[in-house]
Amino acid sequence: MRIAITGKGGSGKSTVAGALARHLARRGHKVVAVDADPNPNLGISLGVPRESVESMQPILNALLDSGYTHDQPRPPADDLLARYGLEAPEGIVLVATGKIERPSDACLCCGSHNTTREFFSELPADDRVVVADLEAGLNDLIWAHPGDGDVVLALAETSAKSVEIARRAIELAGQMGVRRIIGVANRTLTDDAAGEVADALGIETLRVPEDPAVLHADHLGVAAMDAEPTSPAMVAVGAIVDRILAG
Amino acid sequence: MAGDQTSAPRPERDPGPANASTAAEPPRPAGLRNDWVRSSLRRQQAIVDDLVQRAAATVGDEEACLTWLAARRQAASFRRHLATWTGRGFTDTAADLAAHRLALDGAMDRAGAVIADFDEATERSAHGRLGLRVAVMGKGGAGKTVISSTLARLLARRGRNVLAADLDTNPGMAFSLGLPPTEAGLPDEALEEHPGAAYGWQLNAGVTPREVVERHASVAPDGVRFLGLGKIGDATKTGPKRTVAAMVALLLGFGEPAWDVIGDLEAGPTTPFERYHAFSDHVVVVVGPAWRSAMTARRLLPMVGVGRTTTIVGNRFTDEPDHPGMAPRIRIPDDPDVAEAERLGLSPLDACPDSPVIEAVGHLADHLLPLEVPV
Repeated sequence: MRIAITGKGGSGKSTVAGALARHLARRGHKVVAVDADPNPNLGISLGVPRESVESMQPILNALLDSGYTHDQPRPPADDLLARYGLEAPEGIVLVATGKIERPSDACLCCGSHNTTREFFSELPADDRVVVADLEAGLNDLIWAHPGDGDVVLALAETSAKSVEIARRAIELAGQMGVRRIIGVANRTLTDDAAGEVADALGIETLRVPEDPAVLHADHLGVAAMDAEPTSPAMVAVGAIVDRILAG
Repeated sequence: MAGDQTSAPRPERDPGPANASTAAEPPRPAGLRNDWVRSSLRRQQAIVDDLVQRAAATVGDEEACLTWLAARRQAASFRRHLATWTGRGFTDTAADLAAHRLALDGAMDRAGAVIADFDEATERSAHGRLGLRVAVMGKGGAGKTVISSTLARLLARRGRNVLAADLDTNPGMAFSLGLPPTEAGLPDEALEEHPGAAYGWQLNAGVTPREVVERHASVAPDGVRFLGLGKIGDATKTGPKRTVAAMVALLLGFGEPAWDVIGDLEAGPTTPFERYHAFSDHVVVVVGPAWRSAMTARRLLPMVGVGRTTTIVGNRFTDEPDHPGMAPRIRIPDDPDVAEAERLGLSPLDACPDSPVIEAVGHLADHLLPLEVPV
């Protein structure tokens, strides 16, 4: 199974993706967590130490450093996973697609984006669950190109901009043939506020409440699943996992 | 700029759905790319030359000084831009690069000599009217759009001409400026297809950046002019990406002496990497209290580039300590009224004009206006 998580910057994609992966792992699933953000930080929400998140070598950067060029065939997804995957808590394998931190001639088009696609679309369909934390906005969703059998989580917090981008993501995922699209009304203060987001999105939408425990963990740069696994937001992500697994 | 990273041909095996429209085409021959670089350099040169001519023809001490300053600033900006093409493997453009550098040196020397003839008070006064070129960066959700939009309107209220540019393919700046939600990007007539350009499109060679702004920029509250990248297309189209190269070139060539330009960049490191901020003299990096926000800022700072000032703005800190080595120059408080305006999709200036957030953005304007402009 493959789950793509999309939404506006700051809507909580990484926080939800990290907690989702941890809940899946606790339910006995083999999880591959793909950080497709060129500003990789999913590791934090998975419970990987901050230093490892800062120093981890994403696929694109590793390939470029080893002299990879556009013209060469890229190693298969599973080889890249074995080579560049980082062990995260609870048996999760974390891989980042590419990191940008200096101006260079590096090419995004065949680097992080195609690698994202490779991971999302080309890992053999087996007993693994791939959780992809996509780059903010809609572009990465187009590149990841989820399809028929995949799940797309469209995240929105309550701002009009955030809801609008989630709405477009839902529209786009529908055009790509995704049948299982679930809205997430993230950081909502009340059920009513979540209901408003759900109405605006026009699809089944689950609520993840605003949660001081998540904010606190975020300030420290640690995983809320480690700091306060029973906090309301973390429990709510568990419910999303149940909903996904129920089919 | 947007084209930098596409210097080599895309791999045929996996061009990606976003490039479906060009997927069937063979990889771009290097000659075409060189040709495009050369023509975009010529266009930049023409804008500098035009500004020098305007300066020479401008009457009135302060106006003339202002226009010469703008001409010199435009030349300096173009010279920085030239450096990004140097050593990038465009071998048959090396002679062109050198020729442009010589021409720019000549223009800058000439402008410098004229400016030196004005008395100090005139020069200082003209300097104060020279428009700002500000790019706003930060992690997603850091508050870039609220800050850049409010800054644009506050500058306009101070009597300045302001161009606000949404450089985010997930448009949000229109909301925060107080415009009805718009998906307007540059219209087709402002664009032309060019196989050497990033995403295959560029600014129409027949129009100048100034004309595009006059004709096509929306009028937002307080008289701010607004340009966006347009709506992202369906699953198989490049959507607003095709206007990116045009917009970056437009901002880079928008040399109007007394216009401020505020560019709101798409979240994260991709847009600074692609040098969407090539037009800017000043970069504002917005940082929130979360650790990730500081990590993002640490990744952004090396991409600001030489010749630009950097201002760190702390947004929505309450009682959290500053990030080590990243003390904000300006602090913008957390305000539930602004969060409510955001929920409703309104400009904070309309929804909560008395918010301390607006006062703090005013301090950012106070900080930016006297900053030295590299001329």
